[in-house]
Amino acid sequence: MKDKNAGIWIGNRDLNQDEAYIHQADEQSRIRPDETGGLQSNRRDFLRIMGFSVGTAALAASCKTPVRRALPYLTKPDSLVPGIANYYASSYVDGGDYCGILVKTREGRPIKIEGNSLCPLTGGGTSARVQALVLSLYDTHRIQGPMVRGENNWESSSWENLDERVALRMPATSRVRILSNTILSPTTKKAISDFKVKFPNTEVVSYDPISSAAILMANEASFGRKIIPSYHFDQARTIVSINADFLGTWISPIEFSRQYAKGRKISEVSGAKMSRHFQVESYMSLSGSNADHRIQIRPSEQGAAIAFLYNAIAVKTGAASVVSPPLAEKAASALSKVADQLIADKGASLVVAGSNNRDEQILVNKINEILGNTGTTIDLNTPSYQRQGNETDLVKLVADMDGGQVDAVIVIDHANPAYDYPAADAFATAFAKVNTRISMSGTLNETANLCNFIAPNHHLLESWGDAEPKQGLLSLIQPAISPLFNTRQAELSLLKWATSDHIDWKSDAPYYEYLKSNWVQNYLNGSSWDKALHDGVFKYQAPDLASAAPVVIDLAALKISQPTNAEQEITLFETVNMGAGQHANNPWLQEMPDPVTRCVWGNYLAVPVMFDGVNKFKGAFDLENGDFVNLSVGNTTIETASIQQFGQLSGTLALALGYGRTVTGAAGKHIGTNAFAFCQQADGLTQYYNTVGSSPVKSRKEENLACVQYHHTMGVQDIDRKTGQKINADEAATVFFTYFGLAKQGFQGSLVERSVIRRANLSELESFVSELQAERAEFQHLNEQTLYPDYSDLYERGHQWHMHIDLNACTGCGACAVACMAENNVPVVGKREVSRHHEMTWLRVDRYYYGDVANPNVVFQPLMCQHCHNAPCENVCPVNATNHNSEGINQMVYNRCVGTRYCANNCPYKVRRFNWLDYMKADLWPINEPALVEGEDSPFMTDNLTRMVLNPDVTVRARGVIEKCSFCTQRIQEGKLNAKKAGRMLEDGDVKTACQTACPTGAITFGDINHTASSVHQLANNPLNFQVLEEVNTRPAVTYKSRIINRDESIEA
Amino acid sequence: MFRFSFLLAVCTMVVPGLLPAQGNPDEGKTLFANNCAQCHARDMKTKATGPALAGFLDRWAAYPQEDLYAWIRNSQALISQGHPRANELWKEWGPVVMTGFPNLTDAQIQSIEAYINGVADGTYGAVAKAPGAGALPVETKAKGLSWIWYALLGILLVMAAILGRLISGLNQLSAQQAGEPLPRQKTVWEWLTSKSMITTLIVLAVILAGYTTTKNGIAFGRQQNYQPDQPIKFSHATHSGLNKIDCQFCHDGARRSKHAVIPAMNTCMNCHKAIVKGSQYGTAEISKIFASVGFNPNTGQYIPDYENMAEKDIEVIFKKWIGDNHMTDKELKAMDPEGERLMNEQWRGIKNSLTNPTKPKIQGPVEWVRIHSLPDHVYFNHSQHVAVGEVACQTCHGKVENMEVVRQYATLSMGWCVNCHRETEVKSFSSNDYYLGKYEKYHQALKDGSKKTVTVEDIGGLECQKCHY
Repeated sequence: MKDKNAGIWIGNRDLNQDEAYIHQADEQSRIRPDETGGLQSNRRDFLRIMGFSVGTAALAASCKTPVRRALPYLTKPDSLVPGIANYYASSYVDGGDYCGILVKTREGRPIKIEGNSLCPLTGGGTSARVQALVLSLYDTHRIQGPMVRGENNWESSSWENLDERVALRMPATSRVRILSNTILSPTTKKAISDFKVKFPNTEVVSYDPISSAAILMANEASFGRKIIPSYHFDQARTIVSINADFLGTWISPIEFSRQYAKGRKISEVSGAKMSRHFQVESYMSLSGSNADHRIQIRPSEQGAAIAFLYNAIAVKTGAASVVSPPLAEKAASALSKVADQLIADKGASLVVAGSNNRDEQILVNKINEILGNTGTTIDLNTPSYQRQGNETDLVKLVADMDGGQVDAVIVIDHANPAYDYPAADAFATAFAKVNTRISMSGTLNETANLCNFIAPNHHLLESWGDAEPKQGLLSLIQPAISPLFNTRQAELSLLKWATSDHIDWKSDAPYYEYLKSNWVQNYLNGSSWDKALHDGVFKYQAPDLASAAPVVIDLAALKISQPTNAEQEITLFETVNMGAGQHANNPWLQEMPDPVTRCVWGNYLAVPVMFDGVNKFKGAFDLENGDFVNLSVGNTTIETASIQQFGQLSGTLALALGYGRTVTGAAGKHIGTNAFAFCQQADGLTQYYNTVGSSPVKSRKEENLACVQYHHTMGVQDIDRKTGQKINADEAATVFFTYFGLAKQGFQGSLVERSVIRRANLSELESFVSELQAERAEFQHLNEQTLYPDYSDLYERGHQWHMHIDLNACTGCGACAVACMAENNVPVVGKREVSRHHEMTWLRVDRYYYGDVANPNVVFQPLMCQHCHNAPCENVCPVNATNHNSEGINQMVYNRCVGTRYCANNCPYKVRRFNWLDYMKADLWPINEPALVEGEDSPFMTDNLTRMVLNPDVTVRARGVIEKCSFCTQRIQEGKLNAKKAGRMLEDGDVKTACQTACPTGAITFGDINHTASSVHQLANNPLNFQVLEEVNTRPAVTYKSRIINRDESIEA
Repeated sequence: MFRFSFLLAVCTMVVPGLLPAQGNPDEGKTLFANNCAQCHARDMKTKATGPALAGFLDRWAAYPQEDLYAWIRNSQALISQGHPRANELWKEWGPVVMTGFPNLTDAQIQSIEAYINGVADGTYGAVAKAPGAGALPVETKAKGLSWIWYALLGILLVMAAILGRLISGLNQLSAQQAGEPLPRQKTVWEWLTSKSMITTLIVLAVILAGYTTTKNGIAFGRQQNYQPDQPIKFSHATHSGLNKIDCQFCHDGARRSKHAVIPAMNTCMNCHKAIVKGSQYGTAEISKIFASVGFNPNTGQYIPDYENMAEKDIEVIFKKWIGDNHMTDKELKAMDPEGERLMNEQWRGIKNSLTNPTKPKIQGPVEWVRIHSLPDHVYFNHSQHVAVGEVACQTCHGKVENMEVVRQYATLSMGWCVNCHRETEVKSFSSNDYYLGKYEKYHQALKDGSKKTVTVEDIGGLECQKCHY
């Protein structure tokens, strides 16, 4: 099957040249019978509405314009000028996840998150979850004040009442347990220790739903330090990751992506160097999709793979071997070659594993030790605190609660074991036996719902706080808005209940004083607090760790997990958007397509794609995309929808965690299925794989399969059934010729092999570049024969905006797509609309497969409006609503658009989006609003609270108009204006688009290409560059850099 | 028929026929609306903030004309000179001070007089309303030549009717000669209800409706000359005109932000902590600022925890302030009934201005009525125009320094914006480094004289996405 298809494909529909696929391209702009939002129009309706609108217009014209009010500030804060954004340095903290951020506020409300470039960890990068943080502030389902459990339901209470009742129920002798995920904040930890002054029988139970406890335990065993080390992916020439999705979700993905991209970017063609990345895994993770080689193993072979790799290295380096469980032959032969490469790159390689088995992690430590990586790519002296949880403590807590050993449990931050603990039912039963159960969650979740009290914490953007993601690196959290609701800082609640005298209760901002004094006493050491607050991050000299005595480990005693003989195994994994489910009620993240499966609003069981031996690819068990299956693991059976997934090893399945929440807001409730119950436990540690009882059986078909992989396709070839000719799928679907009365569906020109993606292997780089150059020269020569007038004089006058995207740096994480939604007021449309190709995202990250069909490589391509100088969309607009300006921007004028959708049809890149419904309630007529979600009294993004997230500099579009990427024109105008006001030239970096600032790897560069000193001008001359569909002479203003991988063709994987 | 259209023509062109020679009442009307109507009733017969103006010339007849003009330009000066009529008025109307209008010329005052007299004796408004025989014009100073068109239309209609008659007569004649039976003459009713007539009427109606709809549609939401009453009778004429306070002293956003910014109440307090009584309204208007921010004028201190103060306590503070001032002004020992009336009236004014159905509390910002309002799909940035373009505020807002009550001066339509962008030169084109670093060809052309100026249009100021995004 290797290289059966040397080209590029999206999924098996285009591989199979499925007839249905041909119709995908025009799906976006096709009207369906039920498209009119409930109106069944005919001529009579038309006349009626026409008459009505004429009448209304006449009536409206005779009426007076409503009186509008303008409210000034009573006392205007000095630092604030209405209309100008303020930025506050803060930190994104979600359990152990961390990112240094800047919060953009306008007129006092946070509207956008940017990365903090001063943060040494993330360097200004962000992730999709970080970008979506601002929307969760305006969640309509936030708890609005303290709550007390009544007989049947929750009752609103006051803080005084709640404090009184807690004091009554929690005497100082209480055995209190504070249940949390990883706590990054040193000041929170101080508050907990002050809490213990009154309640000495308090214990903190810290666990992470997606656990890395085994790494902590293994490092304790290997080095005597219960820590997670700092990894340096940028310094590794060979990277081996065994089930660790370090680019997507593992420990510190923003930091790792940034490091990883440093080793992957190519600037010079001659002597180009890049790291080689092996991913050993069973499901296609984000890291796996970026890898040069994916070595496929069954989930239960994880231990065997680690042991095999260890032995292969040990044999060649003279170290002691271990007993290795059996491993499939193909993986074994690949891994022995990997071992060779690792040895060759001694000291500059890195082996990481996501395994949650202590002994396997000890073996990984051993591998890195033999390879001399400890001290180079692994830094044990700068521990990362981003994972501190240990679920064995939670197991013990459940037992204690069950045995009546616990009097009170206080659940802080997002901890939600009633949902994310594999034995959630056992937890709930035991939890009910605790006398006092207090949740500090800001939104109602499964665990909070089981409590007696809810003492809601502020949202992160309303809080003071700090974080220490790595030893010596402190990061501050400062409020960007006063609390919207009657909530209280969690630490204050703890200190209040403990009647602590370590805090100044008379102060206006007691926790601020508490935090500041903690910093002044312990960290600042004379440095300025104000500067630390301004920068958001602060480095201090941490005390050296005690040098640990070398630990001798009896390798023979290690318990490596044994592969099973089960017919089917399932991997359970975390996705980049949902985490462990805490982001379920965030519509931006729900509507962000999963980078690999490209599905939205739900988790889909990934089933392998099988080749039937003739010419057909189909899903295992004959499953089509969107078929529901009943899946049994142990005693648990769940029903889940499925999706065919390339790169999924035969005999394995995969399902994402974090879905199927039952107690949360309307957006996240019952979306997908909860798979936490499928996780198994070994020695108290959660294992994220299991064996499947019986083969999945199809039960029904999903009504609205919302998977965008076939939406907005371009340049993919197909075969015309009638003629047997190769044709272009998009055009075949859109072009309809009439030859002398004979209707014929055909294709324009004969452009079949289209340049959407350019890719090559590092070994063949030079020949690739010369081919690419020759081909581009040919295109450009042909393109000179044009009927278009020459406007180059116009474009040379002032600015000419240009974007450069490095496909080698892009990991497909999707931060840019969410940033774009936040910046440009892009509406959320919901699952049904997405299933009808109506998603509104201006920027999509396309995912293409290539190479071996059974185990393909992947390339991600962020695609937005290409701002073509010869734009096909502009010529067909009957009202000139889209046209070009002198700065090279393809302008979209919403108030001129009449909604013919000709432009969307004629756009070869399929980047134009049509507002089928009034998603933002910008219309006068309520009939145009989209259907209500059950339990909501208004559609998404139309609630006054949620609308506070809107960017006031960007028009909210009404129904019936086309919209698309504007190159963040509001930022361009702002950058220009700032330069003019300062009376200086526009400099490189004055204008940065939202996608550019969100990117953790720096894959996107934007600027004025006429400005010779700009980085985009310099990048635009790289020989690896290409333009998408350059042959159709659209002259796009976006240049891509080819995808280069570093594959060793001698390795069969 | 002819007579009818003549009448029609006459009626439409009726113009200020019977004019008093010395002033133009039309001009007077505008001046009155801009300067006087805030205090004096427009019907000239009812008392408002100021007296009813009907017959005012008679009341001033005993004094030289210059005295009246001096009164209008600066009433307080005349009072202090001890002018009998002036003091008579002050006794009746004080402490309400008549705003001074030092800028009004004699001719303008005469126009206002003409207008006031015209309205008072019914000659000004009545002319336009009743175009009866009495109003038959002696001289027809028609604006333009519209009456010719009406006359032509009339003549054409008459000719059409005559021709119609002729044709029908000839038809009859030819039928008679051919010996055919005479076609029956259509009655007027039949003619009116004929298909062709109805079709014509429907077509005309559709055209008219379309025209009206389009015209109103374009004007929809535009509000040039919009001049609403504001919760506080804030006078730009006093602040900006008389006291020469720079616009950007209060509208400090204009040079740095997209919003010019309605000044915060604490900006008002910068001065009004000291100036506690107005020149025009005394305690009536400035007290509203105090009530909004929580400043106690009796003590000169801000009121602690004002946010939670009960309305009746606020009432006590301000009634005392109003009453005390009244007593001081009148040199009274005890409150007189007029003082009581004033206290109640001004307190009611404070309450009504600062509260509305959605804002029941007195405390909090003044809810001004918004005058300039662009549609949501337009992006406009003040600092671009003020700081970079060096456009004077008056270019778009008119002479606000003369406006007692602000009105929208420009249409704020897209055509108006575009025109200005076409005509306006980029002032700092050859001095601002931003422009100097770009547009080489323009700079060259300016040097060699092939281009005189660089307009906003030349640098892309007419492109859609400069204002719509």
